[in-house]
Amino acid sequence: MSSIATQHAARPPLWRDVRVLRIVGQVLFITIIVFVAREMYLNATFAIEARGRSLTYDYLQNRSGFGIKESILNYSANQPFYRAFLVAATNAMMVAFVGIILATILGLIVGIARLSTNWLVRKIAQVYVEIIRNVPALVQIVFWYTAVILAIPRIQNSVSIFDIAFVSNRGAAIPAVRGGVDFSVWWALVAGGLVAAWFVWRRRTRIHEATGEPSYRWLWSGGVLVGIGTIGYIVLGDAFFFEVPDLGERRYTGGIQMSPEFAGILLGLTVYTAAFIGEIVRGSILAVSKGQKEAAQALGLKPGQQLRLVVLPQALRTAVPSVTNQYLNLWKNTSLAFVIGFPELINVSTTMINQGGHELENFSLVVGTYLGVSLAISVVMNVFNRLVALRGGR
Amino acid sequence: MADDPRRRRPFGFEEDLGVAVTEDAPAVEAAPLSTPATPTEWIRQNLFSSWFNTILTLVAGAFLLFVLYSLINFTFVSADWAVVQRFMKAYMAGPFPIEEVWRIWVCFYAVALLAGLSLGSSRWRPRVTTRTVLVTAVSSGAASAIVLYTVRTALVLSLTAGIVIVAAAGTVVGRALGNRLRKPLLAAWFLLFPIMLVVVRAFDGVAPRFWGGLFFNLIAATVGIVASFPIGLLLALGRKSSLPAVRIVCVVIIEVFRGVPLIAWLIFSRFVVDLFLPPQMEVPNIIKAFIAMTMFSSAYVAEIVRGGLQGVDPGQLEAGRALGLSPLRLTALIVMPQALRSTIPPMIGHFISLFKDTSLFSAIAVTELLSAARRSSASLEFFGLDAETLLFAALIFWVIAFSMSRWSQRLEHRLGVGER
Repeated sequence: MSSIATQHAARPPLWRDVRVLRIVGQVLFITIIVFVAREMYLNATFAIEARGRSLTYDYLQNRSGFGIKESILNYSANQPFYRAFLVAATNAMMVAFVGIILATILGLIVGIARLSTNWLVRKIAQVYVEIIRNVPALVQIVFWYTAVILAIPRIQNSVSIFDIAFVSNRGAAIPAVRGGVDFSVWWALVAGGLVAAWFVWRRRTRIHEATGEPSYRWLWSGGVLVGIGTIGYIVLGDAFFFEVPDLGERRYTGGIQMSPEFAGILLGLTVYTAAFIGEIVRGSILAVSKGQKEAAQALGLKPGQQLRLVVLPQALRTAVPSVTNQYLNLWKNTSLAFVIGFPELINVSTTMINQGGHELENFSLVVGTYLGVSLAISVVMNVFNRLVALRGGR
Repeated sequence: MADDPRRRRPFGFEEDLGVAVTEDAPAVEAAPLSTPATPTEWIRQNLFSSWFNTILTLVAGAFLLFVLYSLINFTFVSADWAVVQRFMKAYMAGPFPIEEVWRIWVCFYAVALLAGLSLGSSRWRPRVTTRTVLVTAVSSGAASAIVLYTVRTALVLSLTAGIVIVAAAGTVVGRALGNRLRKPLLAAWFLLFPIMLVVVRAFDGVAPRFWGGLFFNLIAATVGIVASFPIGLLLALGRKSSLPAVRIVCVVIIEVFRGVPLIAWLIFSRFVVDLFLPPQMEVPNIIKAFIAMTMFSSAYVAEIVRGGLQGVDPGQLEAGRALGLSPLRLTALIVMPQALRSTIPPMIGHFISLFKDTSLFSAIAVTELLSAARRSSASLEFFGLDAETLLFAALIFWVIAFSMSRWSQRLEHRLGVGER
């Protein structure tokens, strides 16, 4: 009994009890944070009310009253502010989407070239990386835009490629695929063709595994898909057609057009990010155990096969997390297009503020969009990472 | 060294040196690499070892020749570098009043002197190989040629030469004094930035809105690092805290500041920073931008410090606890010294990217190096010379960022980070 009593007495007093201290500390911390947040909110409302405005998002429904140079969505100055913001967000996402694809391809090439046995190729890749990584992205983007793209021929003497595609300092225009009457039917056929091609693929693989005959899977499946697509096109009769751009006096009409601003930001971000991705690819390839390559050699795989079937899949696992970071950087760097006047989030937001005020509300939208898309990219890449990761809890 | 072709042949496009393995031959372990004896042999192995490699060499060679030809043709024939000569002061100092430029020179001399003393007292000796001698000769030759061509007044030329002389003299003195300089030098480096601010601002000095050119880029990057370090440290500790409330708040702050691009912070700093400040407090826009950049940078610093914290051996913590250290002293005396040591190279990397990011200040009408370049080629006299001005700005950015990243690599090697 007495020992229990002493134990009781030995319990530290409340102000020295770690469990109590932890809770008190957190409550104190939260109180401070809440106090600071409240103070900030009061500051903001005070400043806004001093200017005779109020903190509200209602203005997003009002007519925007300004045009946007280029947009994927339909847009005119008569549409509300939120539509303008949506246009800006899709523009930025378009840059990021195309940029990520191109930067990945170029980065992969650079990374492999860095490790080539060919001295010249290796040196060129190294110089590329060392130059690009140490010059600010913005300087590069401005350079591509003003010194390269705006310096190419004016629209009146556009460089024409077989009269179906044009390049000038007003941008580039290439033929567009436009849907005819039965476009959706044709797409359904192609979808069916995809399924058929998949079955053919499986069958050829099985034959190959059973007999060892060459499978020619790509030829077979590709042939099936192209065949169904062609037959569909002939049977349906003009399911789609090509719209060739027209060379106007001041601007192109028809076709798919790429503005000089879009080209500038895309070129700049692709070249910049590819240097970083290249270094990641190089590091991941070097991280693959040497025995893997030697085993592939021992199996008699050709050098291309060694790289494609053995080394790259394993390098991919190491590379995915770092490459995800580069994708996030690329997405955030689309904001640099602001400086060359491409209508992305910052550009449109500043116009919106000039037109209708509401700086803070606008800022919160910008923050939300950047964080939201970043989150989406992370989620997609995490899923991808889980798909390529080794199974079995290693 | 990493470019030794023999250490770098894992994934080429051709067969590695085919070693014939006959039935009776012993297992080949680490096939001996034949060192190329003659230049022709080297060329054959590195450029023309297979038909695919030959094609690659031809294509790459053609590409290289094209790029070199365009570059040389541009540099020496078609470019008009008069614009760079004319706007040199704007590139270096922006709208800094010309009669006050001596303040910038004082700062540069101070940095050169300290750098020289540090280099000397570290007893660093250059490795003398054909390669390093060649690289040093070519790069210093190119640098002098550019300076001689672009700087047009004797005064500025002699001042520039003076920087080199001061740095060299510092190296000699530093070598003579050696380790005795260690502590004073450390103190001097810490005091350097405040002293520089005093030199620029004191006695009717120059307000931040007149700072510009390369000087601004360097100052802004330094402000970003120095000011964000304590905040980043606290955020990192908060993120590693065992108290969930503290942890969550810190994670949210870090992710929000990192997740939004710097250019957005800079542009919106005019409106947003007011939130943090008491009402009616008048702050110049450029200071608001500095505050926004500091917050952005501190999120990155926090992640760097977190990496350092994670690198500390848990045994160190346990040992500290076993000694009965309080959490505060444990952090200050055991964890931090070890964690911060390993953060030095990534902090230099962060400084480099922050230095590159200061070009974004051109979006908020600061005449830093990039916008000075853009303005000079928009002037009536030199309209349209964008390639010249932008390439020159890119060259300056490159020289500084590249040499710093090389220095950081060497430091990483010397600190033995990751090899302890």
